[in-house]
Amino acid sequence: MKKSPFILAILMIALVAMPGFSQAKLKVLFMPGVADPFYFTMEKGIRAAAAKAGVDLSVAEYPKAWGPEYQVPILQAAVARQRPDLLLIAPTSTDALKAPLKAIYDKGTEIITVDTFIGDGDYSKASDYSFPLSYIGSDNELGGRQMAEHLAKLVGETGKVFCEATNPDASSVQGRVKGFTAGVAEYPNMTLAGVEWCQDVQQKAQEQTLAALQKNKDIVGIFGTNVFSAQGAYQAVVNAGLTGAVKICSWDATLELIGALKKGQVDLVLAQKPGEMGSLAIEWGVKYLKDNSVQVPKKIIPGFEFFTRENVNDPAMQQFIYQ
Amino acid sequence: METAKHGTAPGLAGGLRSFLGGRWVVIFLVLEIVYFSFTSKGFADFNSVQILLFYGTQVFLLAVAELFVIITGGIDLSVGYILGFASIVSIKIVNALVVAGLPVPAAIALGAVATLIVGLVPGLVNGWLVAWLKVPPFIATFSMLGVCHGVSELVINGVYALGMPQMAADIGNGYILYKAPHLPFVFFTPPQVARRTPVLELIPNIVIVAAIVIAIFAFVLARTRFGRHIYALGGSMDAAVRAGIPTKRRILQVYALSSFLASLAGVTYSFMYVSGKADAGASLLLDAIAAVMIGGASMFGGSGTVGRTMIGALILAVLDLGLRMAGVPTFNKYILVGVILVLAVIVERYLPEAQLSISEERK
Repeated sequence: MKKSPFILAILMIALVAMPGFSQAKLKVLFMPGVADPFYFTMEKGIRAAAAKAGVDLSVAEYPKAWGPEYQVPILQAAVARQRPDLLLIAPTSTDALKAPLKAIYDKGTEIITVDTFIGDGDYSKASDYSFPLSYIGSDNELGGRQMAEHLAKLVGETGKVFCEATNPDASSVQGRVKGFTAGVAEYPNMTLAGVEWCQDVQQKAQEQTLAALQKNKDIVGIFGTNVFSAQGAYQAVVNAGLTGAVKICSWDATLELIGALKKGQVDLVLAQKPGEMGSLAIEWGVKYLKDNSVQVPKKIIPGFEFFTRENVNDPAMQQFIYQ
Repeated sequence: METAKHGTAPGLAGGLRSFLGGRWVVIFLVLEIVYFSFTSKGFADFNSVQILLFYGTQVFLLAVAELFVIITGGIDLSVGYILGFASIVSIKIVNALVVAGLPVPAAIALGAVATLIVGLVPGLVNGWLVAWLKVPPFIATFSMLGVCHGVSELVINGVYALGMPQMAADIGNGYILYKAPHLPFVFFTPPQVARRTPVLELIPNIVIVAAIVIAIFAFVLARTRFGRHIYALGGSMDAAVRAGIPTKRRILQVYALSSFLASLAGVTYSFMYVSGKADAGASLLLDAIAAVMIGGASMFGGSGTVGRTMIGALILAVLDLGLRMAGVPTFNKYILVGVILVLAVIVERYLPEAQLSISEERK
């Protein structure tokens, strides 16, 4: 009695199941990392490029929080629904996404990882994670290093600095922290007071920064490594009444951070080019799907822009703000 | 199964009431599946069933854990964070064993078993607090939630546990059976075939492990003296004491079992995602409790079965996958779950046959 509904349910599924028919239009799926302005901007770039290329695009649900347990079930549902020819994904873990993505690849979908990557991101040499066509995203290590240089200039190359980061298993953030740490080490009079991880929770970033400021009253500069960590970090400095005394370099040009820059609460904002990442991913992916002999570069780096108080109102810079 | 023998309400209306009372969750599930089969592209597919079961595994295990505790009239709020704790512990132990020079398969097996043993500790403490010190279950397990969260964060310094061997991911994401065209069925190892070859994958490893464990728990609850004692405890503590049931020991055991199931869920998490973190299961607690409630168990104890709880959990899992495949934001799920929950309680109250439990059947 109790078992029969189960069997019935399974039978019904088997009965209704129909073979999928392939369409002529290329099907593309975008799987973002988490609901934030960075990926919203990327989606805009993807949509524009997809319309231009005439492909059938669908965008998976934005995960509510950062992590494979949020992203992978959404990914699997979206893939099962659409059976895409091309998947653009920001993997939320360097390790956890290897197996699911390999399975999707084996079934015939081409994959481009955008913003973050799997493994060490080097798809050019054979490995168990070298199957994606390409990684399109920032050179995060270089960015981290450049942030260290900018921050050094702002604080006169002396004193303690602090780094508020997000997720230690996201490739992008690992790179930023590594580059920043190496960059700071090049200044003999500067030390890195600590690195904290807020796991994409802005409130946590704020608390951690506040605690760091309490512990090290001589911190002169802070690097916030993404939307949430940078926003939390500058708010902590504002709340502690240290605006101006503690210099802040923030990664990701959200409207909020650009606003804070204009108000003097943040001193430098790095803008990645999420829109360009998205459009490049569509362009290269479609090019490859139409002609498999096309050599897609294994790494495509769109570069950065730096917002300062001097250029923040410059009309040419406005396109780099995430919105 | 238990419904047919009760024919208290006479007449057609009464017959309908008793029919619906016993089966409304099942009917609801079937309706849900039919609905999504027509509205969600790709939903009516065997692959979807596997996705649904695979990503539902942790909630299924936590729901059974919660059911045992709820039958005794208690609640276990700590299961989500015990899951997180176990996901971290398993990775730490496996890594330590690999470093100590054990072969990887042995390290993985031993690590998993050791985690399940360590995972009993929070439950034993919960049970001891509830049974001997008379701490209300809500408070005892709420405190344990905090302790598990804190200890987990301390172990991993507030970040992630990483570095599980690749083999664990292969097991965690693998299937029992594979069938490639022109090749025989093979167990556990994916066949080496050209890309795009349609390989039939049958039953994820993790689903089979969870199914076996849940079946054992269902048997224990429905067919053993231990199971009857648990229902008796939830029905009336005084009566249970007078009947000579070792109530304190039983409560301790129930919380330990709950903790064991949560740890097993944690091990499945670390095998699926090769990472562990403190809040890995934080968002699953409410789904687990909702599954038990939708399955018709009473919050006051004494009723509920594993089968109906699983149907409750399936209703949630189908909702999740169906909405996703329909391209509807799953925020709608929260609203629907809320509505279904209230509906479940109302049905339980007004359709008396819904309150069936093994204990009543055996009176």
